[in-house]
Amino acid sequence: MTATEKGPAVEAIGLVKEFEKGRRTVWQRLRGEPDQRERFRAVDGIDLRVERGEIFGVLGPNGAGKTTTLKMLSTLLEPTSGTARILGWDVVRDAREVRRRMGAVLSDGRSLYWKLTARENLQYFAALYHVPPALHKERIASALAAVHLDDRADDYVERYSTGMRQRLLLARALIPDPELLMLDEPTVGLDPQSARDLRDRVREMRTQGRTVLFTTHYMEEADQLCDRIAIIDHGHIVALDTPAALKRTIAATEVVRLEVQGLAASDPALLARLEKSGSVARQERQNGVLSLTIHCRSARDFVPAAFDAARAEGATIDHVEVVAVTLEDVFLALTGRELRE
Amino acid sequence: MTASLVADLHAFAAAGVKEFRILRRYPTLFLGFLFWPIVLPFSYVLQARGFAGGNAAAEAAFATRAGTADVVGFLFLGFTAYMWISMILWGPGTALRTEQVRGSLEALFLTPASRLVILFGPAFSQIVWALYMFGLVGIAMVFVFGIDIGLVEAIRALVIIAVATPALYGMGALFASVVLRFGEVGALVQTVRGIFTAFCGMTFPIIVLPEWGRAVALALPPTYLIGGLRSALLAGADLVSLIPDMAFLLASGLFLCAAAVVAFRSTERYARRGGSLAQY
Repeated sequence: MTATEKGPAVEAIGLVKEFEKGRRTVWQRLRGEPDQRERFRAVDGIDLRVERGEIFGVLGPNGAGKTTTLKMLSTLLEPTSGTARILGWDVVRDAREVRRRMGAVLSDGRSLYWKLTARENLQYFAALYHVPPALHKERIASALAAVHLDDRADDYVERYSTGMRQRLLLARALIPDPELLMLDEPTVGLDPQSARDLRDRVREMRTQGRTVLFTTHYMEEADQLCDRIAIIDHGHIVALDTPAALKRTIAATEVVRLEVQGLAASDPALLARLEKSGSVARQERQNGVLSLTIHCRSARDFVPAAFDAARAEGATIDHVEVVAVTLEDVFLALTGRELRE
Repeated sequence: MTASLVADLHAFAAAGVKEFRILRRYPTLFLGFLFWPIVLPFSYVLQARGFAGGNAAAEAAFATRAGTADVVGFLFLGFTAYMWISMILWGPGTALRTEQVRGSLEALFLTPASRLVILFGPAFSQIVWALYMFGLVGIAMVFVFGIDIGLVEAIRALVIIAVATPALYGMGALFASVVLRFGEVGALVQTVRGIFTAFCGMTFPIIVLPEWGRAVALALPPTYLIGGLRSALLAGADLVSLIPDMAFLLASGLFLCAAAVVAFRSTERYARRGGSLAQY
């Protein structure tokens, strides 16, 4: 079995992962009772193709199936059905070959050995990744330099900040000199500066010719980093394209957020008025305040019309915010929910 | 030897080095361990003296049953072997569990290293502990208790330890499979340790057991390790006379290691299907 040098970095067809809900007791097992647990699909038929050399993001809310997908692609989880190939190798049949060629950050800083130095951590993983001993020194130095930790290489990891640990995880993933990097929510828990720094490191990975597949629920991160994005929800890919093309899919150039007060039961009338000059993507009532997100072609035209409409319905607009279309709006348009919900 | 096997052997050594480095950063562990192998068995020696005193008839009865009149050597060897057995029984399972709780197990499973490296590599560092412990007890036996142990006897003992190692690691690895399946292994290890304490002759000659108890003892590899060490170091037995015991240890080692590999593969597959690799 050999893989080709060409072809996509990642190819998944009809990937499904089912888990059982609840638990089966020892008593049920001993009595040989049939397993009647309900099954649910964390990933429900994902088709994915990531080209070599691109940064590909999987964007979705918590529980959408992002991590499960990445775990299947990285051989940690066995798919219930469907196939996936990494650099031409099948993730089930050729799992060891996949692991040889891939670097992954699927866990947080806890997965490092805190009582070892960064260099000692990488020495151990260099051996586990089967890097020839003659190359250890060079490979470790290069990985540490790539994440800007070379000056702290001999400090214990327990003395690192969260951001430094996250960068060390990236260095660990670089040890096999992989063509493909998989990163699961790499900036979660980082302060803005550390997150920006890590994103810069990821961009450098692309300039080095590597493919990066990463998951995130931060739309700005996906927007800034990715060549292409798959938006995932309830285990399905609901859209897949470049960030710009995804944003073009909604018929609006601007997004207006309004907070309306003083409405009785006349919401439908107000909404009907607003719908004449925009599209109400989301509405939520809390403590007597109606929050609206409206997609429109021109906020300059829409906002005065909105004030007129509110006045006509006896309501007042307390807050107006005009923003450019983001991936959050794309997600909202596709699923009717916000990414952070 | 294939390149992959060489790389795995290197990874195996690296896993041992990693564990030893972590161990070294807690130096008080070594200090604490200075006393246990000496003080604990010595309490049994005092107990024996309390029961028998200097009574010649009692000592003769012991010599008849134990095959040696050296009570101190008998107890120290039994206890040291038992401590080593305990260490290995806990070793692979504890190492795996530690990685699981720490959150590093998935990172290890993402590497192309053989699962045997992950299973046995960290426990490999315990050889350092074993050498430390046996060395310490050896020194105490010779210089404190005046037991005559020559170089030839010491080498024979090392051969017996080496022959027993696969069987003990095989048991430890079977427990490690339990970790992947159920997460916790403590209760099982304690039960097995209890069985070994009751039947394997740690502090008594197994001849005092009832017939059914002796049958149980003779089915357990630690009995042969403890018995073999006593025969070689205290009764002057040569390795040829111990061949049947060593053959049993090797055969059980082969069987237990094979069973451990099959069990580990099966539980790993279970964990990869159910997503329980990192769950504890």
